Amino acid sequence: MGTRWWTATEVAESAMKLVPDSVSRVEESACYVVPDKLVEVMSSLRDDASTNFVHLSNLCAADYWNRFEVVYHVQSLEKNCIATVKVEIVDRESPVLPSVTSVWHGAWLQECEAYDLYGIRFEGHPNLSRILLWEGYPGWPLRKDFLAMPGGLQPGLNEFAGTAPKPEPPVHTVE
Amino acid sequence: MSEVIKTEPFVMNIGPQHPSTHGVFRVKVTVDGEKITDAEMIIGYLHRSMEKLAEERTYTQNIPFTDRTDYLSSMSNNLGYCLAVEKLGNLSVPPRGQAIRVIMAELQRLASHCMGAGAFANDTGAWQTPVMWFNRERERILDIFEMTSGARLTCNYMRIGGVAFELRTGFEDAVRQLLPRLRQTIADGQELLAENEIFIVRARDVAVVSPEMAIGASLTGPMLRGSGVAWDIRKADPYSGYEKYDFQIPIGYKGDAYDRFTVRLEEMRQSIKIVEQALDDLPGGPHSTEVPLAFRPPSGEAYARIESPRGELGYYLVSDGGPSPFRFHIRPPSLINLSVFKEMTVGGSIADAIVALGSVDIVVGEIDR
Repeated sequence: MGTRWWTATEVAESAMKLVPDSVSRVEESACYVVPDKLVEVMSSLRDDASTNFVHLSNLCAADYWNRFEVVYHVQSLEKNCIATVKVEIVDRESPVLPSVTSVWHGAWLQECEAYDLYGIRFEGHPNLSRILLWEGYPGWPLRKDFLAMPGGLQPGLNEFAGTAPKPEPPVHTVE
Repeated sequence: MSEVIKTEPFVMNIGPQHPSTHGVFRVKVTVDGEKITDAEMIIGYLHRSMEKLAEERTYTQNIPFTDRTDYLSSMSNNLGYCLAVEKLGNLSVPPRGQAIRVIMAELQRLASHCMGAGAFANDTGAWQTPVMWFNRERERILDIFEMTSGARLTCNYMRIGGVAFELRTGFEDAVRQLLPRLRQTIADGQELLAENEIFIVRARDVAVVSPEMAIGASLTGPMLRGSGVAWDIRKADPYSGYEKYDFQIPIGYKGDAYDRFTVRLEEMRQSIKIVEQALDDLPGGPHSTEVPLAFRPPSGEAYARIESPRGELGYYLVSDGGPSPFRFHIRPPSLINLSVFKEMTVGGSIADAIVALGSVDIVVGEIDR
């Protein structure tokens, strides 16, 4: 009953079997795929009968101060199962990732959104442009070091006692 | 004929301020005569950066934001977000809270589909009269929401761990009086629109989406089911006790605008069935569990999804152990259902593009967030 969530180990095993040396590490939340082999892994996960992840449910990025992660939730409608695949980007200055629009057409607008709000360039995307903000908007708003408020205030609930410790953010000014 | 009369390609704007774009949504179409050769959609006029704002507020304070994404189905949005937080924090909801949530979500689906079906009839040329029939019943549903939560559109009714208030006295009678009226309205809509020759000519074989294209483009909700794929998260991945109710998934067989309309009408009938079943055995007990106001879920991440009136509405939350989400992402069904907008419109006429857009049933507040 209900959709079966694949564990990270299961996803990693399938990915390694289909494309050798494609998984960089496995954590409890998800399996991390090597960026260079992303498109190959995703298309074989979609096409292989044992995985059959034909439907890209969700694609989004997240900023963890020192790295970006792009999260793919892929699901199989026939087998009724869902898996989480992640990719890590260490380079904050010019983050680049191969686009999966060739695998799922539904990634088109979601990749545009991730580019718009995080500045992650998806190589091979047919028309990567800012969709929510206008071209030439200064900065990438959903990055943690983007100054959301005037007066140099950082995002987060600093006034609440007991907030989880955050690393000191690099100071950026926005022209 | 086309060799005799030559036409220059002509770029034309539909929207952003146009009644048929259902909000501030703009499409730049290139037309050759009456035929569309290219369509580019331009969105972002309603962008309020909710995902950024949510990172600065507590989990409970974020619930009103979710009202304002898809403002035609605020109850469903509340539900999706609360489920994500409960998954993150391993909370359970008492049976009465779950049943109230199902009643509210299904009434919201009825209200939203009333608007969707009425507005679609508007787009096909049945000017204003069907909208008024459907809106008359939608207003009654909103009256029930007002009676329960104090607000008509932005209800802010669900809470983490349950719902905000107990149902008011007379709620059940009000709903039971409403449901036969709704059945009658749906029957009228079936008879006067879906069986109307002009409507059929206008919507049949327009904006066809094949099942393969629908799955590849991540379509969900009535768009996917209209293409003949029986995928409903209430059945596939039941949440909030949906596995207890008996209902069916309607599907279309051609994947055109007409199929999406009839799928919506049939979904309304199924929703009425679910509401009746939920009212018949509404369990007693508390409506909510006690959750601290500055709730701190353990570090981790959760992705929870529900079947909102427009499709799969997902919330992806990352927690760092603090009182506010580290990452708050909404998977907007309206935006992703528009992935095939170009494929649906190119090759047709401008009037067909309006029908195609109406059949997607977008809410711009959710597209732009």
